Amino acid sequence: MQSQGYRRIGFFIALLWLFFCMFPLWWVLVTAFKPPLAVSQNATYIPFVDFQPTLQAFREALSGVRGDFAGPIMSSVIVSVLSTGLAVFLGSMAAYALVRFEFRIRLLAGLAFAVMAIGGFAYLSQGWGIRVPYALSLVLLISLPIAVWLNGRALPGPVLGNNDVTFWFVSQRMFPPIVSAFALFLLYAEMNKVGFRMLDSLPGLVLAYTAFGLPFAVWLMRDFFENVPVEVEEAARVDDIGRLRIFFQIVLPMSKPGLVATSMIILAFIWNEFLFALLLTSSKWQTLPILMAGQNSSRGDEWWAISVAALISIIPMIFVAIFLGRMMRSGFLAGSIK
Amino acid sequence: MPSAASNDRIKHLFLWPAFLVVLLVTLFPLIYALVVSFQAVRLVPPTPARFVGFDNYAEIIQSARFWGSVQVTAVIVFTSVAFQFVLGFALALALHHNVPGATLYRVTFLLPMFLAPVCVALIARMLFHPVLGPVNDLFTALGFEHVPFLTNSTLAISTLIIVEVWQWTPFVILLMLAGLQGLPSEVFEAARVDNISAWRRFRDLTFPMLLPLSIAVIFIRLIEGFKLIDTVFVLTGGGPGTSTETLTLFAYNEGFKKFNIGMTSALSFLFLIVVIVFGTLYLAAAQRLTKRYR
Repeated sequence: MQSQGYRRIGFFIALLWLFFCMFPLWWVLVTAFKPPLAVSQNATYIPFVDFQPTLQAFREALSGVRGDFAGPIMSSVIVSVLSTGLAVFLGSMAAYALVRFEFRIRLLAGLAFAVMAIGGFAYLSQGWGIRVPYALSLVLLISLPIAVWLNGRALPGPVLGNNDVTFWFVSQRMFPPIVSAFALFLLYAEMNKVGFRMLDSLPGLVLAYTAFGLPFAVWLMRDFFENVPVEVEEAARVDDIGRLRIFFQIVLPMSKPGLVATSMIILAFIWNEFLFALLLTSSKWQTLPILMAGQNSSRGDEWWAISVAALISIIPMIFVAIFLGRMMRSGFLAGSIK
Repeated sequence: MPSAASNDRIKHLFLWPAFLVVLLVTLFPLIYALVVSFQAVRLVPPTPARFVGFDNYAEIIQSARFWGSVQVTAVIVFTSVAFQFVLGFALALALHHNVPGATLYRVTFLLPMFLAPVCVALIARMLFHPVLGPVNDLFTALGFEHVPFLTNSTLAISTLIIVEVWQWTPFVILLMLAGLQGLPSEVFEAARVDNISAWRRFRDLTFPMLLPLSIAVIFIRLIEGFKLIDTVFVLTGGGPGTSTETLTLFAYNEGFKKFNIGMTSALSFLFLIVVIVFGTLYLAAAQRLTKRYR
């Protein structure tokens, strides 16, 4: 039978991939328990047979004798939980608005905003010598209301709708992050100079990561809200319940699975993020990925220590993967691809 | 669905916070960077900003290192995405047809994409160690001892491609599997009854039906691939020399080793333009391809 042959090939590929996929993880797991000799002489694979496992590396890492581990772990946890919470919260509000309300944005008003912002900033900072953060906030305060006012006028030109707004959010993720990360670094550095501590600070990092997670939150939550039946909300509106209460007490509880899944995906992205953390932190708020990148140069062949650090960053993600793997089986992702 | 009655003011309260955060953090700094990209600014030694027009851009376009990094990025991204797509699609098909042990695979196959690229690169550094790593053991058994995986430029790029394939094939599996599960099963039943071979079922039904999704998946992977920095940063540091330096790493080095801010800003805008042009071309080509299949 021919399709039996395909099944066998499929099974074979799957087995090969399983090995290819799991071997590095096995390696990092056993290396964390290796004594130095088991690393420096030859490659060793199986505990108790090839080498005698030891907890030495874990003890060293947790007691902090070999550099501060607890600090970066704490800052990673605080930063990723706070920013994920904010991103999912703000993102689902925006996603709800994009599903239930109608937005009309005139292209011309948007262009006018861009021109006013860029021109105004160049003029203020170059011509008048105003410090960068002040110039930027002035420009924002002036050009945004003007753009909103212009949007209410009967301007010619195309009108953008909800899908375009969603695309605008999602397109933020298409930009190479070095563009906005570097620009943000420059801006934060300027803000440090005038007294707002943003570089290497909690607010600075959380703000950056919230914006980093928002496009995902808007995109994913929009699909979940589209599947929430409108009838329930309409019934509530007949009873004269406000939109905000409807959102917080009816819509959000109904889309709990979606909220959890979205949070996990965003949490994973932020937990693993490297570039922003590399540019925006220097010592106090360094996150785990930065610590790990540093391990490489600071302890070269101390593989047991490197493996412990890697394991600490991997373990929370294993739970995320198991959880999302379960959701995948129940077909949750089938809805979000179209 | 938006109805005429739902145009109350409160909608602004829902949308504006998110809009403002994105505007403040991702777009407003861009304005600043755009202005800086037309200036000569250095942090070390500090020089006052001077307007230089398109000089920064011209200098980058003439620099061999820039084109080198473009080439490295393109080679790594296109090769690894090709492998990711073929492998990922094959594995998704295998999982969809419930090969033995499919439930176990579903969790384990997902894992790599949730690990920090930095972490993956650290593990790869151990695995590909020319003397102490297990890959060396394998190659020694095959008769090649102490292969310099990370210090020979061709091998280093191949290693980076393998690492990328390891980490991101799961993403393709995840989405293609979701796509396969969404296909109408009646069509396939009918084809099976008509005794159409498995290969033709794939060629004439599955593949065309999943073409739009495939295009989207490849697009996402390409765009994400262009951003590559963390893996390279840890695994090779761009070396040997600058032979594995990707665009993002080049921009980072310009900005943080030479503190040449004007150049880095100009570079990141060039990068942005390249991505936008590439994305537009890709989507246009994809549209023609899907039309031909209809």
